[in-house]
Amino acid sequence: MASTPTTASTIGARPTGRAAQRHRHDPTSTPAGAAVRIDGVNVTYASSSRSATVEAVRNATLHVEAGTIMALLGPSGCGKTSLLRAIAGLERPTAGSITIGDRTVSDTTTWVHPEQRSVGMVFQDGALFPHLSVADNVAFGLRSASSKLSKRDRAARVAEMLELVDLADYGDRLPGTLSGGQQQRIALARSLAPQPSVLLLDEPFSALDAALRLQVRADVADIVRSVGVTTVFVTHDQDEAFVLGDRVAVLRAGHIEQVGTPDELYRHPHTRWVAGFVGEANLVRGRWRPDGTVETLLGRVPVGTGAVRADRDARPEPSVRDDGRNDGRNGDDITDEASRDGSPVDVLVRPEQVDLRPGDCALVTNVEYYGHDVRYELELDDGSILAARTKSGDLHQRGDRLCVRFEGSPTEAWSADGDTVEGASTLLTP
Amino acid sequence: MPVAFVVWRTVRLGASLPDTLAEVPAPLWRTVQLAVLVSATTAVVGTGLAWLTTRTDLPFRRAWRVALVLPLALPSFVGAAAFVAGLAPGGVIHDALTAVGITPPRRFRGLGASWLVMSAFTYPYVLLPVTARLANLRASLEESGRLLGFSAFQTFVRVTLPQLRSAIFGGALLVFLYSVSEFGAVQLLGYDTLTRVIYATRQTDRALSFASATVVLVLALGVVVLERSQRGRTSPDDRAAVASPDNVRLGWRVVPAITAVLAVLAVGLIVPLASLGTWARRGLADGRVAWGDLLDPAVSTATVAVIAAFVAVVVVFPVAAAAIRRPHPSTQVASVSVVVGFAIPGIVIALSLAVLTLNTPVLNRFYQTSALLVLAYVIHFGSQALAGTETAVRAVPESLRESSRLLEPRAARRLWRVDWPLMRPGLLAAGGLVMLSTLKELPITLLLSPIGFDTLATEIWGSYEEGFYAATGLASIALVALSATLTWVLVLRRSEVVSS
Repeated sequence: MASTPTTASTIGARPTGRAAQRHRHDPTSTPAGAAVRIDGVNVTYASSSRSATVEAVRNATLHVEAGTIMALLGPSGCGKTSLLRAIAGLERPTAGSITIGDRTVSDTTTWVHPEQRSVGMVFQDGALFPHLSVADNVAFGLRSASSKLSKRDRAARVAEMLELVDLADYGDRLPGTLSGGQQQRIALARSLAPQPSVLLLDEPFSALDAALRLQVRADVADIVRSVGVTTVFVTHDQDEAFVLGDRVAVLRAGHIEQVGTPDELYRHPHTRWVAGFVGEANLVRGRWRPDGTVETLLGRVPVGTGAVRADRDARPEPSVRDDGRNDGRNGDDITDEASRDGSPVDVLVRPEQVDLRPGDCALVTNVEYYGHDVRYELELDDGSILAARTKSGDLHQRGDRLCVRFEGSPTEAWSADGDTVEGASTLLTP
Repeated sequence: MPVAFVVWRTVRLGASLPDTLAEVPAPLWRTVQLAVLVSATTAVVGTGLAWLTTRTDLPFRRAWRVALVLPLALPSFVGAAAFVAGLAPGGVIHDALTAVGITPPRRFRGLGASWLVMSAFTYPYVLLPVTARLANLRASLEESGRLLGFSAFQTFVRVTLPQLRSAIFGGALLVFLYSVSEFGAVQLLGYDTLTRVIYATRQTDRALSFASATVVLVLALGVVVLERSQRGRTSPDDRAAVASPDNVRLGWRVVPAITAVLAVLAVGLIVPLASLGTWARRGLADGRVAWGDLLDPAVSTATVAVIAAFVAVVVVFPVAAAAIRRPHPSTQVASVSVVVGFAIPGIVIALSLAVLTLNTPVLNRFYQTSALLVLAYVIHFGSQALAGTETAVRAVPESLRESSRLLEPRAARRLWRVDWPLMRPGLLAAGGLVMLSTLKELPITLLLSPIGFDTLATEIWGSYEEGFYAATGLASIALVALSATLTWVLVLRRSEVVSS
C-alpha cells in the first residue's frame, strides 16, 4: 500500500506526505479497517407522488476488502450515493443485508443506527459545524458516549489529526474562514478522529475547483492509505475513480454493471455502456474470423476473451460479479466456434489503439492538441467517424488523408445488433 | 422625525420631571415582564412546533404547517376581545366550562391573561423563520452528527439548535418589540403597560404621556440594536439542503405531540373564532347587527389600506433603489431610518403626529385628516415595504438595464416592457404587506382618524368598549376573513414553509 509521494509538479506542494509518513510509523494509532459486505441490497425512496416509490439501488452485491479503497462510479442519479448512505445507515435498505467487519448492521430484522456503526463520512460540502472551531469540529466525535476519552487524550488526538491533514495551526479558526480544500481536509480529520472501521466519502472533491481538486485528491488518498482504513467513495468522475480506487464498481440506473480494477474496467469492460463510460471508445463493426480475431476496416483485431459478449445493455443482469471478468458464469459468451465464423460483431477500439499511417483511406476532420498527446477525429470512407490519440510527434493537419490500423493488446467485442449498418463504427464518448 | 419630537417634548415638558419619572417605573416593569415572558414562551413554542412539523413523522404535517401560521391573521386585540367575550356569561368558553362543571374564572385580566393572549398570537413570528431555517439547513450537518456517534436528540441539541439560534433570536426579539408596543390587547385586558399609560394620559397629563413614550422608544430601539448586533456576530450558513434528513419517528410520543399542536391551535385560533362566531351568530339571529352595518367601515378600511400601501411603496422605492444601486453612507442612513419606523410603537407615532399638528399653526388643519392618517401608516409600516421593493430593484440587475438600453432607446417603453414586469411581484408583495398591517392597525387609527371615519379595527374597539359583543364578533370575523385572505395570498402561498 505504497503512497505516492507528493511530486514537485503538484501545485504548491505541501508536506502532507511527510505528515502521513510519520503517521505510518506509528501503527498503534492505525485502526484496523473492516471489510464491508453488501448482499442483494435494494434502496427505495418514496417518490413525490405518494403511492409510487423510486428504486434507487436494485439488488446490489459488493464486497470491499479490509483496508482497500473502493470507488462507486456512475452518472448522476445512478444510485451510487444511495448505496453509500445505506452503508452509513442514513438510508434503510428495503431488501438485502450489509455487514461491516463481522457485524451485520442491516438486514430484514437488524438495524444498527448510524451513530453505532463506527462509520466515518465526508460529505460533498464538508458539513463542518459552522458554530464550532476547527478543533471542536475534530473533537466532536470524541465526545460521544461511545468514546470515553479524557480531556487530555482528546486534545492529543485532535492535535494528531490536525497534524495528519497538515492544518496543525488552524485549530482556533472557524470553518467559514477556511478554503474549500482546507474544509474538506478538516472534514476528513473529523471523520477519522474516532477511528472508524469504514470511511465513506460522498463526492468529496466535486465542490472544489479544478486545480485545487487534484491537490486535495492526492492529499486525501495519501492520508487514507497511510491510515489504512477501508474506504468507499462515490464519484461521477472516471479519472478520480481510477486514480484513487483499488477497485471500481460502475453503477448505472441503480444497478452495478461491473466491478474490477481500473485496468480491467478500461481494457475489458463487460458492456458497451461501461466501455463508453470509463473512457472514450470507438465501436468498430467487423466480422469474426476462424482464428478468433475480427476483420475490420482497421485490419485484424485480436479479441482477448476469445469470446463475444451479448450486450447486456439491453437486458441488465441482476447478479453482480466483483471477481474479475469472464469467469465462465457469463452465459452471454458465445463459445461455439461455428456460430462465430462470419457473424458481425462490434469491437472496442480505444483511441490510443488506432495507429495512423501514411495512406489514403481516412480524412482528418478535427485536431485537438493537448501537449502530451493529440486527439484526431477521422472520417472513414464509409462515412463513419473514428477517434484516435497519438503522441504529439509528427502532427497531422485538418484535411490530411491517412490510413488507420489497429495496434494494441487484445480487446473486447459484442455481437452486433441488427440495426447497425454493416461496416460502420460508432463513437461513444463518456 | 417623530423620535426627535417625542424626545424634545419630553425635555420641554420636563418641569415636573421628578414627579413624572416616579410614575414610570411601575408600568415599565410590567411592560418588561410581559415582553420577556411572551418572547421566552414564543421562542420555546415556536421552535418546538417548527421542529415537530419539519423533522418528525407527525401525521398531517403539511396541514399543521398551514394551520399553525393562521393565528397571525388575528390581531392580538381581537384575540383578547374574543377571550373576554367568550368568558363573559353567554360566551363559548363560559358555557363550555359550565357544562363540564367548572366555575369559569370571574375575570380575565392582568399579566397572566395578557401573556396567554400575546403568546398565542405572536408565536408564528418565531415559527416561520425557524421552519424556514430548518427547511434550508443542510442535511449533511445533522447526518454528520449522527455518524460521529450522537443520537437524534443529542444531534438536535448539539448541531441543529446552534444553527437555529439566529432565527430563534430574530423571531423572539420581534415578539419582544411587538409586546412592548402592544396597545389594544393590554388595554382590553386591563394590564397597565407603558402604552396604556401613554393612551390614558395623553390629554390629562401630557408630560407623563411623553415620558412614557420616550421610555417605550428607548426600549424598542434598544431591542432593535441588540438584534442587529446579534445578527452581526453569527456567521450565516446559507448553503441549502441537498436532501431532507430522515424524519424522527415519534412512536407513542405522537399523542403528546398532537395534543400540543391542538392546544396551541385551540388558544390561538379555534377558541377565539368560536367565541367571536357565536356572538356574531347570535347578534345576526336577533337582528341587532347585520352585515350591512359593516359596509362603511369595511370600505373605508380597504380604501385607506390600499392608499397607504401605494404611498408606502412610492415613498420607499427610491430609498431601496438608491441603497442597492448606489450604496453610500447617506443612502444607508435613509434605509435604516425607514426600518426604525417599525420599531417605534404605533401609539408613539400617533401621539407625536397628533400633538405636532395640533400645536403648529400651519399644520393644524391636517389634524384628523386622512392625509395625516396615511402619513402615520407609511412612517410605521414603510419598513414592511422595504424588503419587497429591494427584491423588486434586485430583479432588474445593472447588466440587464444596460443591455435593454442598447436594444431599446425609448426609456418609457423600456420601463414598461422590461422593468415593470420584473419588478411587479416584489412591488405587489411590498404593498400587500403594508396593506395587511394597516388593516389590523388600531392605536394610530384611534388617535388620528377623522371624526366619523370608522375602520373595522375601530369598530371592534368601539363596540367592545360598549360591551356590544355581537358587533365585536361580527366585525372581527370580517377583519379576520379579510386579513386571512391577504395573509394567504401574500405570505403563505409564496413561502417555502408551506410548499416544501
